[in-house]
Amino acid sequence: MIKTEKILHLKSCRGRKVRVVREHYLRERVPCYSSLCQADCANDGKVLPPDLTHYVVPDAAVVVDYLEILEFRELQGIVFTQTACKAVQHSKGARQYNRLRNLLKDSRHDCVLFANEFQKYSYCLREKGESQEKWHTRCVYSAAVWYYNHLAGMIPIVMITEDQDAVAQYSCLSSGVYVVSVQDYLQMFWEQLDAARELYSSISQVLQEKESEGMEKEYAEHLPAEVLEAGIKSGRYIWGTLNVNKHRAQNEASVMTEGISKKNSDSSSCVLVRGGKNRNRAVHGDVVVVELLPKSEWRGKVTALAEGQGEEKSGEDSESKPLPTGRVVGILQRNWRDYVVTFPLREGPQSQSRNFQRILAVPWDRRIPKIRISTQQADALQDHRVVVRIDSWESTSLYPNGHSVRVLGRTGELETEVQTILIENSIHVAPFSDAQLREMPVNSPEKPWRVDPAQVVQRRDLRESHLVFSIDPQGCEDVDDTLSVRSLADRGLLELGVHIADVTHFVTEGSLTDLEARSRATTYYLADRRYDMLPAVLSADLCSLLGGVDRFAMSVMWELDAHTLAVNNVWYGRTLIRSSYQLHYELAQALLNGEKAEVPELAKIGSEEKDAKLAELTQALELLTHIARHLRAQRDRGGALELEGVEVRAQLDEEKNITALVPRQPLEVHETVAECMIYANHWVARKIQELFPHQALLRGHPPPRQEFFQQLVESATARGFTIDTRTNKALADSLNRAVDPQDPLVNRLLRMMATHAMSQALYLSTGAQSQDQYYHYGLALDRYTHFTSPIRRYADIVVHRLLTAAIEMESGVGPHRALANSKELEEMAQHINKKNRAAQRAQKLSTELFQCLFFKERDPQTDECCIADGVIYSIRDNGVLVFVPEYGVKGPVYMKNREGQVVATGQDGSCEWQSGSVRRYPDHISTTSSCGTSTFRLFDHITVRISVQSTHCHADSLNLEVISNKPHHSTKPQQPHSQGHCQLVQEVVRLAEEAYHQAQEKAARHHKFSREEREFCQSKTPNLYSLLEEVRELALMDLDMVPQVCATTA
Amino acid sequence: MAGMELLSDQGYRLDGRKATELRKVQARMGVFAQADGSAYLEQGNTKALAVVYGPHEMRGSRSRTLHDQAVINCQYSMATFSTAERKRRPHGDRKSTEMSLHLKQTFEAAVMTQLYPRSQIDIYVKILQSDGGNYSVCVNAATLAVIDAGIPMRDYVCACTVGFVDETPLADLCYAEEGGGVSSLALALLPRGGQIALLQMDARLHQDHLERLIEAAMTACKGVGKVLDEVVRQHLQEVSVLTSD
Repeated sequence: MIKTEKILHLKSCRGRKVRVVREHYLRERVPCYSSLCQADCANDGKVLPPDLTHYVVPDAAVVVDYLEILEFRELQGIVFTQTACKAVQHSKGARQYNRLRNLLKDSRHDCVLFANEFQKYSYCLREKGESQEKWHTRCVYSAAVWYYNHLAGMIPIVMITEDQDAVAQYSCLSSGVYVVSVQDYLQMFWEQLDAARELYSSISQVLQEKESEGMEKEYAEHLPAEVLEAGIKSGRYIWGTLNVNKHRAQNEASVMTEGISKKNSDSSSCVLVRGGKNRNRAVHGDVVVVELLPKSEWRGKVTALAEGQGEEKSGEDSESKPLPTGRVVGILQRNWRDYVVTFPLREGPQSQSRNFQRILAVPWDRRIPKIRISTQQADALQDHRVVVRIDSWESTSLYPNGHSVRVLGRTGELETEVQTILIENSIHVAPFSDAQLREMPVNSPEKPWRVDPAQVVQRRDLRESHLVFSIDPQGCEDVDDTLSVRSLADRGLLELGVHIADVTHFVTEGSLTDLEARSRATTYYLADRRYDMLPAVLSADLCSLLGGVDRFAMSVMWELDAHTLAVNNVWYGRTLIRSSYQLHYELAQALLNGEKAEVPELAKIGSEEKDAKLAELTQALELLTHIARHLRAQRDRGGALELEGVEVRAQLDEEKNITALVPRQPLEVHETVAECMIYANHWVARKIQELFPHQALLRGHPPPRQEFFQQLVESATARGFTIDTRTNKALADSLNRAVDPQDPLVNRLLRMMATHAMSQALYLSTGAQSQDQYYHYGLALDRYTHFTSPIRRYADIVVHRLLTAAIEMESGVGPHRALANSKELEEMAQHINKKNRAAQRAQKLSTELFQCLFFKERDPQTDECCIADGVIYSIRDNGVLVFVPEYGVKGPVYMKNREGQVVATGQDGSCEWQSGSVRRYPDHISTTSSCGTSTFRLFDHITVRISVQSTHCHADSLNLEVISNKPHHSTKPQQPHSQGHCQLVQEVVRLAEEAYHQAQEKAARHHKFSREEREFCQSKTPNLYSLLEEVRELALMDLDMVPQVCATTA
Repeated sequence: MAGMELLSDQGYRLDGRKATELRKVQARMGVFAQADGSAYLEQGNTKALAVVYGPHEMRGSRSRTLHDQAVINCQYSMATFSTAERKRRPHGDRKSTEMSLHLKQTFEAAVMTQLYPRSQIDIYVKILQSDGGNYSVCVNAATLAVIDAGIPMRDYVCACTVGFVDETPLADLCYAEEGGGVSSLALALLPRGGQIALLQMDARLHQDHLERLIEAAMTACKGVGKVLDEVVRQHLQEVSVLTSD
């Protein structure tokens, strides 16, 4: 069956030299993964296409050093040898190796792995005294020769190496196998691929320099991995992810410990690392090992507001109470990604040699240290943003070394800035490739897409029976959700249906589109554009549930009791629908309010018919609102939170110029739709969790950590409110109570602070976590998932597949595909979480970018737009944090500037700078100057001027400056939205409870009386006993009303 | 060390085997003339020598005598040179004692002890080189030795260790795999009837996976059984040729 041969390895273990013998089995049949194969290799999975001009086999050293070049999708037909992969694993560590593995798995790249060391004829024994590099090269060469012979000489093989001796030694050994250097290879075969050539030169320059480094030590050496591991186990060291403070990037960083946080929970979960020497070459995001310093050297965090840029003054800033402080002794895992840097402007011509210049480039992210780059194009790249990668950071060098990868464009241009945002968040959105688009169904005017009759049979047809409609933002193209509601009057039931676009019908698991969607994980919405997760033919057309056309859907339908709205029955399944109306929120709200509104779908028909249809639609909407109110009330009783975020939309004209910044207007119909979606998500989560207890994808929201509520509680206390943060119910109730009738913004700000304190909701695999962690804190649901937006979220696609499998399983047909196991699902959940965070950050950054652009075009001194009303929501040592509701901007306002001057208030409230002093109190800050004392309290309204602070290397930021301590506009009497909502909820709760009571009473009475009548022949009039009995039951019911209602509706 | 990749994406293990493949097994019977039965067995780089004395009268304390069956006495030891670092104590430590006990249990289940009441069978096993799967190699070697001694057994006892990595059971672990944080399971099987003589596992494993793991172990044991059978037949042929001369 197998041949065996044994090799000797010399290996040192625990410092000692030990001789270890390992077996090594060789076989004749190792799959070659080429479609040209004549010998029937067992090639499953990815194979190299037959229509290439050559195959290329990179040497181990090339793979180790130049993997980035091999990652270019244009390079096709790469055969990675096992020798090379092992070399990467040994010399570069797990991260780089995983990158290579992913490359091999990715079906978009034409590359395969050949297990040359297990092949009988391509394996070479290492000879005595042979250096490792030489041996690797020999192995790779023999693999290349094997390939050539195996494929019977049908395709030439090119081996690329950096070893000039190897080129000389092997190039003329056998015909058909060419050995060339990387540079020659790129020049000969890929002349048009300039990017690869530039990358090559930039990497090779770095490698050259590494050899000629100076030897002065700037930092302490990192400890070897064994010592670190032993130290962590014994508790001497602590490990965690390094988090650099954005505002004091040079000095302050903290390590959030992961290893020990569970045992001694809150005492030392955060370790401070001060100064560059202590940080010891760790970069933001790295997993580091820290050693605690003696207690006498512990320091606190600086609490004063730092002025964004410039050098930090040390010493005089006041600090918080000392925190555990440590220094970095080693790095477990580098987390370097691509960074965007800006080349500094040069003052004058510098006399350096022409072709060799080292430049300190400034990263866009302030938390990243400057990166030293050697390039030949320093002059050309001035004032450009460039993508770079860090290669190394030796202890001898003050800054890390890197190489440039690609040029983004000139600073300040919109395109450059948007690209910067994408790259800084590691978002890669290349246009969809031809191969992916070829998988898509066609829908063109010549060849319209039609519903497959076979599908009509399999699906439940709702086209005639149900009134289906969608409500979305205006101008929305990707409609993933539609609703339907009707009353089944004969049975006293209501039928609520949520119909979601059936994306999984078009995107089969494992297809190229699926892989691309998985790697994107979500559609990225930026202020001025969006990057779709699925190709446009799906997202905007075939999957999108547009009005008036037949579409496939995945439906959840509930039969609700018409009176109590308790769930009678739930149906899940695939359906065929035709949406009758494609409404937008404003229109739907207008219909609900009984206003006259023009429904575009009804524009063409006669007035009588129109009225009837309109009435039908309005009735459906009203019914829907009724149900949604009830659902909301039900969740509120469980403790659902109503949170507040800042949402601003930049209104753009055709040339992408910003005309205004508009905060979002909340309407009730928003909530109605959201509530139905939450309900659908919840029920789907229940379904898949019950059927797949170990491999369902849910969305959990862990409860927040109590210490994060500190700011909220303190701020509320300043206004005389108490906030109870023990449970979500208590928090929701106390937030509802904390309403200042004079100032609705107080409540909004408090809610915003509560939102800030929340932890992030995360996707999780049920197999990986215990059941109590499924709980969704914010929505107060025991299980929740994402099901309703498969066009723009990959998690929903996964859930759709799970639901399909669940339905199949229940109908007796086993799932025809193996489902992802718990580990794979957990990995996927992590991936989606990561991408979601990136998407959110990118969206936030792009909103900020547009806010800056909006104010950049205006002169802060003259334009009325730049002066706005702001509310103080936090007090710091030398200033306050202010929220500007009009533009949704938050930012610091300094009470003391760099010259030591403070804000002084005149008689009319206007402010000016004068010398003086600042004092901070818990709920106010006061400045003293020659003009007297002025005080700024928490939640005070002040007038601020907004201007843009332009920086060369980083993103522009908004600067707020106080100009008066009076509000700019008198506060408009505005009915607070949330209050109205609360009343509404209470009313609904009351109504629901009454209805429930009545139903119960009726049932009880009827039942009891008939029995008593039968048995004891008693009169029909209620006697005293039954009256008392009723009273008793009522009393009981009031007490445990809540669980009962939940139980019956759940 | 960051942890080796025990099973590559292409399905190869560290030494080039696939998940279900055994290591190469080589064995000889009758290596010592002075003992009643003996065998030498190599399974990859794990090498063991097994010697059987008996059945003979009880020696030492007679109180252990069983009136209806034979007593099986096992002793397991490792040569000082068997591991990469020299072993200080070749036998008598806790590990060896445990192993001896396991061997005893295994063979009590397989040898037809009721044929030899009031007597004793000694099985001595020595590991000459250790490269993972010591228990199973010992069992396999001892089986051959018992057969060589002419003691009736219900069936061959074949043993194999299996491990569980990335949702895949790996058959016949080598030392590097055993040390790599794999939850491993040792199984001794009477292959013809499919009875389990001994099953030992002291690692964490999800209940759902156990069945698959045992399934894989049984298949591997049956593979070992075939090899042992061949060795015995070969040996008999050689011996019969010698005696017929």
